[in-house]
Amino acid sequence: MKPLTFAARSLRREFFHGELATLFAALVLAVAALAAVATLASRVERAIVASAAELIGGDLGVSSSRALPPEFTAEAETLGLRHTELADFPSVVFVGDKSRLCDVRAAGRGFPLRGVLAVRDASGPEKNVHEPEAGSVYVDHEVLVALGVGVGASVQVGGREFRLAGEIVRSPDSGNVFRLAPRLVMNYADAESVGLMGPGSRVRHRLLVAGETASVDAFAAWAKPKLPAGAEITTVEDAQQNLRTAFERGESFLRLAALLAALLSGIAVALAAQRFAKRKTEEVALLKCLGASRGEIIAALTLEIALLALPACVIGLALGLGMQEVVIAFARDLLPGATPPLPLGPPLAAFAIGLAVLFGFALPPLLRLRDVEPMRVFRQDLDARPRRFDALYLLPFAVGGALIAIEAGNARLAVTLGAGFLIIALATWLLGFVLLRILRSGGKRLPGALRFGLANLARRRALSLLQAGALALSLTALAVLGVIAPSLLDRWRLELAPDTPNYFMINLQPEQRDSMQQRLAALGATNVGMLPLAVGKLVAINGVAPKADDFEDKRAANWINGEMRLSWSDTLPPANKLKLGRWFDGSETEPSLSVDTMWVDMFHLKLGDTLTLRVGERDITARVASIRGVNWDSFRVNFFLMLDPKTGETLPHSLVTSFHAPAGVSAQLGTLSRDFPNISLVDVNAILDRVRDIVDRVGRAAGWVLAFSVAAGVLVLLAALAATADERRFEIALLRTLGAHARQLSLAVLGEFVALGLLAGLIAAIGAAGIGIALAQGVFKLENYWPPAWPLLSLIAAAAALVAFAGWAGTLRIARTPPMAILRKA
Amino acid sequence: MPSESVLSATEVSKTVDGPDGRLTILDGVSLDVARGASLAIVGASGSGKTTLLGLLAGLDRPSTGSVTLAGQLLDTLDEEARARLRRRLVGFVFQSFHLLPALNAEENVMLPLELEGSSDAASRARDALARVGLDARRHHYPHQLSGGEQQRVALARAFVHGPEVLFADEPTGNLDQRTGAVVSDLLFALNREHGTTLVLVTHDVALAGRCERSLRLVDGRIDRLAAEGRGQALPAERAAGEGRA
Ligand SMILES: Nc1ncnc2c1ncn2[C@@H]1O[C@H](COP(=O)(O)OP(=O)(O)O)[C@@H](O)[C@H]1O
Ligand SMILES: [Mg+2]
Repeated sequence: MKPLTFAARSLRREFFHGELATLFAALVLAVAALAAVATLASRVERAIVASAAELIGGDLGVSSSRALPPEFTAEAETLGLRHTELADFPSVVFVGDKSRLCDVRAAGRGFPLRGVLAVRDASGPEKNVHEPEAGSVYVDHEVLVALGVGVGASVQVGGREFRLAGEIVRSPDSGNVFRLAPRLVMNYADAESVGLMGPGSRVRHRLLVAGETASVDAFAAWAKPKLPAGAEITTVEDAQQNLRTAFERGESFLRLAALLAALLSGIAVALAAQRFAKRKTEEVALLKCLGASRGEIIAALTLEIALLALPACVIGLALGLGMQEVVIAFARDLLPGATPPLPLGPPLAAFAIGLAVLFGFALPPLLRLRDVEPMRVFRQDLDARPRRFDALYLLPFAVGGALIAIEAGNARLAVTLGAGFLIIALATWLLGFVLLRILRSGGKRLPGALRFGLANLARRRALSLLQAGALALSLTALAVLGVIAPSLLDRWRLELAPDTPNYFMINLQPEQRDSMQQRLAALGATNVGMLPLAVGKLVAINGVAPKADDFEDKRAANWINGEMRLSWSDTLPPANKLKLGRWFDGSETEPSLSVDTMWVDMFHLKLGDTLTLRVGERDITARVASIRGVNWDSFRVNFFLMLDPKTGETLPHSLVTSFHAPAGVSAQLGTLSRDFPNISLVDVNAILDRVRDIVDRVGRAAGWVLAFSVAAGVLVLLAALAATADERRFEIALLRTLGAHARQLSLAVLGEFVALGLLAGLIAAIGAAGIGIALAQGVFKLENYWPPAWPLLSLIAAAAALVAFAGWAGTLRIARTPPMAILRKA
Repeated sequence: MPSESVLSATEVSKTVDGPDGRLTILDGVSLDVARGASLAIVGASGSGKTTLLGLLAGLDRPSTGSVTLAGQLLDTLDEEARARLRRRLVGFVFQSFHLLPALNAEENVMLPLELEGSSDAASRARDALARVGLDARRHHYPHQLSGGEQQRVALARAFVHGPEVLFADEPTGNLDQRTGAVVSDLLFALNREHGTTLVLVTHDVALAGRCERSLRLVDGRIDRLAAEGRGQALPAERAAGEGRA
């Protein structure tokens, strides 16, 4: 036999028989959903990364305490990347007898590589610039106020005269809340020649690169093993904790959605293949009877499926790519700036996954056909072979698991989904098994038609359980997509409520507190929060001076060698959660501390340990009285260490203020910083906007996926119900022949399907709620998330109604055909 | 009469394990069919005729006893080897036709040739269809053909590759009398033309009578009384067969 010819002939006729069309559609959908979502996500992500690159002034930075060896720039050069050098250090600016400590940035040629440095000169209008010319500097407004000069004046830095060429309006790193001094930007060569970066100065060097994503990635890979001690790579994502969290969440959302669509398609494929195999049984028996070998039979079946799959994958791919182009065309703002090129990876992966889904879910029932007895040509009941465990049935689970593991891109998401779906499958099976047992023994008192319907479920136990499982899983997937994901997204949005603080103010003196509060109120500022801030140094842990080498977490060095910020408060600040111990209540007899969990892990601390902190000339030894978990992306001022207020008040300190200012008050804010020359005002609108932007884009992209997934879900439903319709043909015809009314028939069918729908819906609702809670805590880190009850409850009802309707409609068709036609065919 | 045996069964028994314990379907059946001969197996429904046919054709293994087909002891062959043997030597006609619904008449007839790997399958299939009078219907699908026409396609398929032995299980069982007569005439005519050995299961006495010999199964055993004078059909059946022929 030529299996290919045979497969092609069979396909030609059988395509229109239902199962194969379902299989085809399921594959098209799976590939389309994956291709569209993965490609869209990848492009949106690149766009977001690109726009966020503005925040560090390049695509990637390598920062170090000493200038990097020249091989780094050489490598960037080789890879065709643009690059520039930065050096940040504190220095004092003088004009006459006035002075101000500034955070100086020496900028190399081409800075910023990404984003804008905008300045305003004396004439007013702002313009985008690069590094200042030799001999000139740009400064923050605050410096002009402090020194009492305007643009064009001459200032002294490092003993040399510079011309003040502009007032900084915007710079790539705006939004760094704890920059302790206003910014001054000068030319890198100037800083070198003046000797500002000589030995003993506290310089932080940074090499910035920008260019093609692939080259940037290559550079990062090259640089990682070559980093000198104390150097680290900064990518856009870790420049800002807020943004990074947003990235991760957004990506998880998109992946979750695409993954569920693929799994739904997999279930549809499995059901359709099951039904296809069933219908093929007699054909296989005949072929065997005529002398076909097992190999030929399997080859023909596999080829038939493959012939179906390849065009399905191609169409799915085309459809998916088309869809994401349409989305991009209609929602131009999804991708700010230039549209990134079409990435090849995601579409190819979608294609491969489509094939994996097909073979993983369809092969087991098909391969089982090789064991069909040729004697079946004479006796149709011969397929009731003694059951033995067939490892083939592990294949769909393996493929599903691998799919989750690969596509989830996040171990917690993978584990949550994998475990969730496994538990649901097992629960359905167990519950269904028990219920059917009960039905079999206790259903005798029900009215006739209903009893018959339920008896059907019990009689076709294996099929009923399979259907209930498929329904429960697909309804769960739909509920997670349709109910859980949107509510998680809402929770996420809520974290960025409209009055989220968009300005921070540092250096406010305690005696200015009241007048500042009045001024802010007059401005219309809301959500004002003020916390004291003292700066100290960690000198001992449990009486021993810490050494950076003693801690595996290399971030520890930042605090051991650098400064750290302390605060205190009567009440636990918002976005903080007490994990261990008690909050301060004024009854402390010795200095006490509350420590963030990250610090606890980093320095191996526990309740009762002591930390010695040097603030000014004073050493304070405080005991750890509580441990807090801090939500660092809350757009609030948060602290690793908080002292008890009694001790804190005795320390020299300033106030950190966060508030939300309505749009259009920048002029008043300008006046404010002139009236309080000592304060630094930090505008975080840019970051806030970007995070909102990500939430928004992810939300919209997820909406598109939902459409795919609903289609896949409906397909599963149809496939599941078509399988029972087949089974039912004969008995309905028989009942009709025996004189049953159409009404009695419908009642029997409705009873069966409502029961099936209720069972599946109930399990799906509980399962989706569980998965939602696990996702909120483990993956999205959203606290106190509770799945919405009403949508889930209505899901149960909707599932029952939908399943009943679909089943009833399918059966109605059969009930209308004259019984003889069916009986004769059987 | 040719004397070389092409099919023989020795003390063949078949038991299956059912819910009420072991059930004996066939019990010590022996028979011998010479090349080119025709044998009818008759008996009441449930007497084990189909089971015996399946064992003779190598579709299943006997619980005890052995079957030899074209000189090959079937029990020594595995499922795959038996399939190869069938593809070469055996043709089938079934009560419910068993045409593949996805293939048209011609493709159905081509099936045994394609399994053999024959290169001129299409033209030979067309000839075979012409022989059963269905040349014009060769592109029709089974559902577009009547029962009699389907069975004629099945006959064409059974003979197309010139099998040594043809097994027919109630070939007219699903057909009305007239159509059944047409089909059985065709069956015997083809059988004669090809010189095929025929094993025919039926409970139609007239049909059985057209075979050279017949044997009767009763509860899985050969009815010794009826089989007396081996090679001779029962007088009544013979008479009925002649009446029809
Ligand atoms: N695999 C099997 N399992 C159980 N019973 C069987 C099996 N095969 C045949 N039988 C039973 O053996 C008996 C003979 O069947 P069969 O050979 O089909 O009879 P016939 O073709 O003469 O009508 C019947 O009672 C049938 O139910
Ligand atoms: Mg029979």
